[in-house]
Amino acid sequence: MTEASNTAFGVALALYLVAMVGYLHHFAYRRPMSLTVARAVAYLGLAAHTLSVVLRGVAAGRVPWGNMYEYASVVGLAVVAVYLLVVERRAEVRRLGGFVLGSTVLIMAASTMVYVEPGPLIPALNSGWLRIHVLSAIVASALFTLGFVFTVLYLIQARRERRVERRAERPAPAMAAVGSGLPHDLAVEADPERGRATVTLGPEQGNGHGGMPGRPPRRGRLPGAEVLDDLAGKAITFAFPIWTFAVIAGAIWAEQAWGRYWGWDPKEVWSFVTWVFFAGYLHARATQGWRGRRAAVIALLGFAAMVFNLTVVNLVVSGLHSYAGV
Amino acid sequence: MASGSFTRGMRSVWRSLRSMRTALILLLLLGLGSVVGSLVPQAPSSPARVAQLFADRPLLARIYDALGFFDVYGSWWFTLLYVLLLISLGACLVPRTRGLVRGLGARWQPARDLEGLRHYASGRVEGSPGEAVGRARRALRRRGWGVRSGGEDALAAEKGLAREMGSLAFHWAFFLLLIGVVLGRGFGFTGQATVIEGEVFTEAHASYDFPPREGRFFDEGHAGFQVRVLDFEVTYREGGLPRDFVSRVEVLEQGEVVRTEEIRVNDPLGHRGVKLYQSGYGWAPVVEVRHEGELLASDPIVFVTDDPNDALRPWRGAIKLPGLAPQVGLELQLLPDPAAFVAGRPMLEARDPFLAYRAYRGDLQLTEAQSVFRLEKERLEEYDGGGVAIGETVEVPGGLELTFRDLRRYTQLLVKRDPGTGLMLATAVLILVGLIPALSSSRRRIWVRAVPDGEGTRLEIGGFALQRKGAFDEEFSRLVRDLVPQGRVRVP
Repeated sequence: MTEASNTAFGVALALYLVAMVGYLHHFAYRRPMSLTVARAVAYLGLAAHTLSVVLRGVAAGRVPWGNMYEYASVVGLAVVAVYLLVVERRAEVRRLGGFVLGSTVLIMAASTMVYVEPGPLIPALNSGWLRIHVLSAIVASALFTLGFVFTVLYLIQARRERRVERRAERPAPAMAAVGSGLPHDLAVEADPERGRATVTLGPEQGNGHGGMPGRPPRRGRLPGAEVLDDLAGKAITFAFPIWTFAVIAGAIWAEQAWGRYWGWDPKEVWSFVTWVFFAGYLHARATQGWRGRRAAVIALLGFAAMVFNLTVVNLVVSGLHSYAGV
Repeated sequence: MASGSFTRGMRSVWRSLRSMRTALILLLLLGLGSVVGSLVPQAPSSPARVAQLFADRPLLARIYDALGFFDVYGSWWFTLLYVLLLISLGACLVPRTRGLVRGLGARWQPARDLEGLRHYASGRVEGSPGEAVGRARRALRRRGWGVRSGGEDALAAEKGLAREMGSLAFHWAFFLLLIGVVLGRGFGFTGQATVIEGEVFTEAHASYDFPPREGRFFDEGHAGFQVRVLDFEVTYREGGLPRDFVSRVEVLEQGEVVRTEEIRVNDPLGHRGVKLYQSGYGWAPVVEVRHEGELLASDPIVFVTDDPNDALRPWRGAIKLPGLAPQVGLELQLLPDPAAFVAGRPMLEARDPFLAYRAYRGDLQLTEAQSVFRLEKERLEEYDGGGVAIGETVEVPGGLELTFRDLRRYTQLLVKRDPGTGLMLATAVLILVGLIPALSSSRRRIWVRAVPDGEGTRLEIGGFALQRKGAFDEEFSRLVRDLVPQGRVRVP
């Protein structure tokens, strides 16, 4: 059973890699065919991954999220599942699959470094709360991971768009570009609400002539910064209550198992810090002058705290959660 | 004037405390402070590692100590941040709550300039203005809008109030949570009790292993009930991983058994507001010591191990006999299962247990604080050693006789009272209940105005959304299609 689970894990990882390459090919060359193939392969990978997790649970005789390897594997599964089944329903973001699958491949590859054979749990972990506390932490982590990918892409795209704007504001080169007969439909609109101009390019964006003097730098193949910001915001807004629930469920469980709901155990501290950063992100998004880049940086810090909690706190810092470690 | 500038200064401090940004920064600082606590060893939980740091890097340790880094959660600056956060959060929430309550009671002002709103539509409909507004009212109510009439020919409607209410519920719950943590600590206590099978523990200050940690406001005294440990059992899986730890106990009130329960990991016993948790276990051999026929000791002795997860190790304990001259101390090692020990297997059950001893004589130095589990050997000399199997007696030179009478287990219970737990649970639920509408719904408003236009009516609709503006574009267009089928819609 264990062997079958591991084989399925390997197959899933390989399929994800292939799908990632397909998605990236589509991202770079816009071939519809490569997108179709990539999606099909990604779905196959998801099926193999699901099988791996289910078999792991059968082999261990319990829920398949009792140690670090299993936790990371299920996070990867949730990332792919949410992306394929929810995010991709928005057609314009399908070309982001390569980045999302890339993050999953990294998570899964890292999880093999902490691989352990399936086994029973120590009494303190043996509780109904394991199912609910850890599962909610997994789902929230997966959504935060998606939020992280979209935030990074947002920062890249926003930077690119700002550069395009700056070029457009300088009249001479921009006019030269329009006058040069490029296959562009360059429209500059004043947006008094945001106190700045917005540049919209026609459907044929990204012509490969970017960055050359006298021509508008290319806007790239990413969806617009606003779309990416919206995606990141949705993922994190969705994740936040789930993370809150995970922390609360953990506190209730800690009260039952250790006699206190909060003891500033390193795991607790870092989950609190993660919570604080993402709470800050949500507030920043609602605050004039903080949305956009500054909010995105806060989200990155939150994600960093989450990863630190999962890796360094489990493996290096000692605490009550450390037996949950590897 | 010095006092004037002081007042001004206090005012500006108060003003900045009332801003959301200050509350967030304080929360962030609290987070950073706790990070320090998670990375620097904390004296209350790991004093040995603090001492180690003082030995290895004295300068760094002194700096940490001065900054309170060895007890972050009890340090003055952590408390200060905590209190400031409470004040700031409260100062943000009071005016917001007042605003919400006032808004609920107040009559809405009809908007004067509908065309100036972000969303606007107008068109001709049949019937009188009163009828047209009536239709609009019904349509909006059907969609769950809160509608207020602005007379015959106008109305105002609002939706998504749940957002503000949810947000306030979430923030107030978080505020109460912060207070509850302090109150729970202040009014409760935590102690640890080691109870040998068959013995009785009384819930009183003096009966804990070391003085229990009692909160600042803890004054009503301990509960005074008693707990008799009937037995303690560890069950193991194949391979030696423990499956479960179970203490079977009776609770006694004034000497009468009122209930019989099992305490397991993850399943504490609650009695009269006090909770007992399974937290540890070990062996307690019953050893009789006789000196020239006179019984000196016959109680079970608590043995400890350096690593409870390593069942390959012998357990250790000590017997101190200060009444003899010279004083005698016995250092004991227990092998619960000698055959397993020899074979290098973990000793999980008691099978023909064996006690090894080393006898020392001289000065036990009992006037100084010392561990009951070991001897202070500077002024002692070893003079004998040996072992004794269960049920047997061994003679130690100097007229001593050791009888290994019985082997029992003890259980370690964490005993705790935290009157804030119920409040904590309630606030945690409220946090979640408030958070969902606070994040998922959006506040939006619509105004409708009707003016007579020939035979029919000209209907004007204006509106805006405070959040999720994109989704409102669609909602507004749909609403207008229903109300003014031939109208013109302008959405941004």
